[in-house]
Amino acid sequence: MFPIDQYAWTHRWRGHHPAERAVLAGGMLLIAITAPPLATAPLVVLAMAGATVAGAGVPLAAWLRVMTIPAGFLLLSLPFLAVSLDLTDGVALTVSAAGAWLAVAVGLRSLAAVSALAFLTLTTPVAELVPWLRRVGVPQAVVEIALLIYRLLFILADCADATRHAQEARLGYSTTRRGIRSLGLLAGTLLTRALARTRRLEIGLAARGFEGELRVLASERTLSRPRLAAVAALLFTVAALGLTLDRALH
Amino acid sequence: MTAPILDAQGLNYAYPGGVAALRGMNLSVQRGRRLALLGSNGCGKTTLLLHLNGTLRPGAGQVLIDGQPAGYDRASLAAWRGRVGLVLQEPDDQLFSATVYQDVSFGPLNQGLSEPDARERVREALAALDIAELAERATHLLSFGQKKRVAIAGVLAMQPQVLILDEPTAGLDAPGVTQLKAALERLQARGTTLVFSTHDVDLAYAWADDVAILGEGRLLRQGGTVATLADADLLAAAQLNTPTILTLAAALREPGRPWPGGQPPRTAEDLVACLGERHDPGRF
Repeated sequence: MFPIDQYAWTHRWRGHHPAERAVLAGGMLLIAITAPPLATAPLVVLAMAGATVAGAGVPLAAWLRVMTIPAGFLLLSLPFLAVSLDLTDGVALTVSAAGAWLAVAVGLRSLAAVSALAFLTLTTPVAELVPWLRRVGVPQAVVEIALLIYRLLFILADCADATRHAQEARLGYSTTRRGIRSLGLLAGTLLTRALARTRRLEIGLAARGFEGELRVLASERTLSRPRLAAVAALLFTVAALGLTLDRALH
Repeated sequence: MTAPILDAQGLNYAYPGGVAALRGMNLSVQRGRRLALLGSNGCGKTTLLLHLNGTLRPGAGQVLIDGQPAGYDRASLAAWRGRVGLVLQEPDDQLFSATVYQDVSFGPLNQGLSEPDARERVREALAALDIAELAERATHLLSFGQKKRVAIAGVLAMQPQVLILDEPTAGLDAPGVTQLKAALERLQARGTTLVFSTHDVDLAYAWADDVAILGEGRLLRQGGTVATLADADLLAAAQLNTPTILTLAAALREPGRPWPGGQPPRTAEDLVACLGERHDPGRF
């Protein structure tokens, strides 16, 4: 139903401590933003694609799909960086070498940054990141609501799917008019179902001693020194290689 | 005889809107037994179960825990729910966490256990239901049968003395039912009292120690499974069918002959064994 979420829960590195992946993605993001982009950004993209596909075992097609949308936005917006508006002598659009260079640099930088985030997105479920919010000072209530929404989202999506299939089976979407009407009914049904479900959830939680705070334990995972060392080595290699290549280019 | 671990006496309950769900309901749960609540849809099974852990408060009547009237203040309810665990029919109504491990840890933490103790409880509960390998999985990616067992583990982790299950086999496939029964039998062997509601007469006949037959918000009769379910008039009054095995066995028995082994067969295996002992072909 939500393919990104599915991969995030089932990839090969799922058993590893999420901080290892966060350090890798964060490190690459930092390199992408700070290092000279022309030489470094392609290296970052390559490393992140390798980690996602070859390392975590997420299918290449999934990685490409996640990358496509931001890449599309980049393609659409970068030409505007290359072009400058000149108002000194009437209205004129000029493409300067500096502008073009800037567009390429920003484009590469952004793509590299996106690839690091795509790695994290495809390998780490939202639910695993939410407890971190608590640690950086987000109020408990907000964290709890985020977690409940995450859980109920899937239940309601299933419910919406089933209702829509039932409506389709009875020709609820045979014309546009009927379709709009059916969709309205679906929304109404979802609301009442969601309310009824939260009532029952409340009973279930109370039966387990809920007294206003949703406290749970995350499973124990140990940080692996060898893996952290590998992450550090990869980050160092990419940064060093990028800088060397950059010097060679100039 | 010791006092029942749970005893409902003359419970009345009407849902907001005035529909009377319980009308003088009685039930006594004996320690260590496996009790099935049988009744057709709308007879008050679920409403009764919700009274047994204090979720609902009766309009009249009372619930006794070990002979003591139950209290409804915060501390009493917390203690009550630590002793009497309730598993809802629909596991999605109960599982609120993203992962199995987190969800099962919820109850023990609410009981005020330390983190290492809570982790130990989680490990034990998952092991008891044979789902240790699901610990890291996302709750929304589990099958229905797996969710069901995770929901039970979440309650079991609180180590209740009585485990109440609302329609535990509803929606499960045959292997799912077999696994669930095996898990519950292991719990019972360790001393947990089991109470479950069902409208599956065959399941109750084959598997329960005792049955309570409910109809229209009342207890019609409570007693040993075989004796109670052999009463055709009682079952008819409760709009329940006679257990299939019992119907077959009665049709196959030579009139007047005692049951082989002293009591009617309860499972298909029992029935086949009886047929093996027959004198007259086609009868036993």
